[in-house]
Amino acid sequence: MRLVRAEVLKLVRRRGLMAWTLVLVLGSVLVAEVILVILHAVNPENHGPAGGQTNLSHYLDVLLALGTIAAIMVGATAGSQDVANGVFRDLVVTGRSRSALFNVRAPGALLVLLPIAALAFAAAVVGAFLFSGALPGPSAKVIGGYAAYIFASILINVVLAVALTSFASSRVVVGVLIAWNVLIGPLLLQIGSLGGARKAIDVAAIDHFGPDQYVNDDVTMSTGVALLVLAVWIAVFNTAGRMWTQRRDA
Amino acid sequence: MDAVIETRGLTKKFGERAAVNGVDLTVGPGVAFGFLGPNGAGKTTLIRTLLGLTQPTSGEISLLGLPQPGKRAEALARVGAIVEEPRFHPHLTGRENLTIVAAARDRAADARITDALERVGLTARANDRVKTYSLGMRQRLGIARCLIADPALLILDEPMNGLDPAGILEMRRLIRAFVDEGRTVFLSSHLLDEVEKTCDQVAIVDHGRVVLQGAVGEIAAQGEPTLVVEVDDEATAREVLAREARITRVEDDGPSTLRLTLADGLGASDVNRSLVSAGIAVSRLEPTRATLEDTFLAITSRLGEAE
Repeated sequence: MRLVRAEVLKLVRRRGLMAWTLVLVLGSVLVAEVILVILHAVNPENHGPAGGQTNLSHYLDVLLALGTIAAIMVGATAGSQDVANGVFRDLVVTGRSRSALFNVRAPGALLVLLPIAALAFAAAVVGAFLFSGALPGPSAKVIGGYAAYIFASILINVVLAVALTSFASSRVVVGVLIAWNVLIGPLLLQIGSLGGARKAIDVAAIDHFGPDQYVNDDVTMSTGVALLVLAVWIAVFNTAGRMWTQRRDA
Repeated sequence: MDAVIETRGLTKKFGERAAVNGVDLTVGPGVAFGFLGPNGAGKTTLIRTLLGLTQPTSGEISLLGLPQPGKRAEALARVGAIVEEPRFHPHLTGRENLTIVAAARDRAADARITDALERVGLTARANDRVKTYSLGMRQRLGIARCLIADPALLILDEPMNGLDPAGILEMRRLIRAFVDEGRTVFLSSHLLDEVEKTCDQVAIVDHGRVVLQGAVGEIAAQGEPTLVVEVDDEATAREVLAREARITRVEDDGPSTLRLTLADGLGASDVNRSLVSAGIAVSRLEPTRATLEDTFLAITSRLGEAE
């Protein structure tokens, strides 16, 4: 736990990273809410109430997209900062194994990011009820589904970012993972000739937890399979990152 | 424990090039041990290999009597080290940087942070971000980072690099204080004068090989004795001295002053007698002690000639 706390300390003291994380994750949801509330207040005929299930989807779509980017940024920083600052060797000469030093990076990043994401999620849900007017409020199923969806996206992207920064610079990793999530992954899901192999793509497994509109009808899977796919991705990348960290010169 | 550091046939190759080549090294407890060599001699590579930062190609290592890498964690728990320049997270304060490393050590390390900062004189700046520190302050913070391990062995790679004279003096004082406390300090340096002033024992390394190892005074004494003479007629003196085969070198050492390198037991009185017999007035006759630098240069230049 002391090593995990040290990871958290290293991340939260980065003012720029924390400011961007707050802006992307929490700020974006609050700004979206304020805009919809103002639009409804000044022109209620053309703009309905800022709450309700539909608007919750809008808020959480923003949180999902920008939260994924924040997860990549925080994960890449957690994975690279010791080596980038030349401190990794000083940690290695304490006698701690390289595996232990690697293993605490993702938990540290998640401990920093998840509370902020939870706060943003809560702000979106509260807003959906508070500003719902005559609209029906979101169901518990929708809220739960979105929570799992966003958590899965943040979890997998933090783990991937931490693992990949063992091999490449944080800038390269941020670029690759954003491209994967925004472009390459969704594109692969559209290629019908890949058939059932598309179930092995992490983006498909994450989408399984999302609302129906996100799920590609040709790439449906059970929750068990989706969890298995995510577990395999996490295990493979985590193992590869740890092995590389063990073998590299410090 | 007979040896704090012991290596046998330690070799580290990068491709075909051996940065460390069959090094046999023994460092006893409670001494300041200088690992002396020119830049590129393999000093940092040997330190990195000792600490497990890079794997040796062959050979055996023992730290604090514990074989490496088998008992790595046990040994390194009592080792503090600065490898190359001390590096830190610049966005964290000095105290926070120590907290990060203490978290990787046992719980007692947390309690040593305040004392370590005080010991190196950084208490007042402990809560400032490291990016505002001077190089000298970072060197001292590096020492504080070593101290939170309560180390039996400190391994310091070029600890005087970049320090001003006051910083060098302070570092020397700290190192001697550590030795007085019974700790062993292994420091690498290319600064001969500093090693001579700071260390009890020394190993001279060149091209990845240890070419000489022993007490500083004994090694320095292995250099050939020299004699400085001041005469009234330098040209005639040179002619007289050239006839003495046991004077191996005659160099200018200022106006009317010559520095002679003596061999085979030739003494100052013999030289004086020869000069006076030739009618030369001798106004200064000063035997000089060979320094570690003389020995180091003699050894490394011989090696250079051999190649």
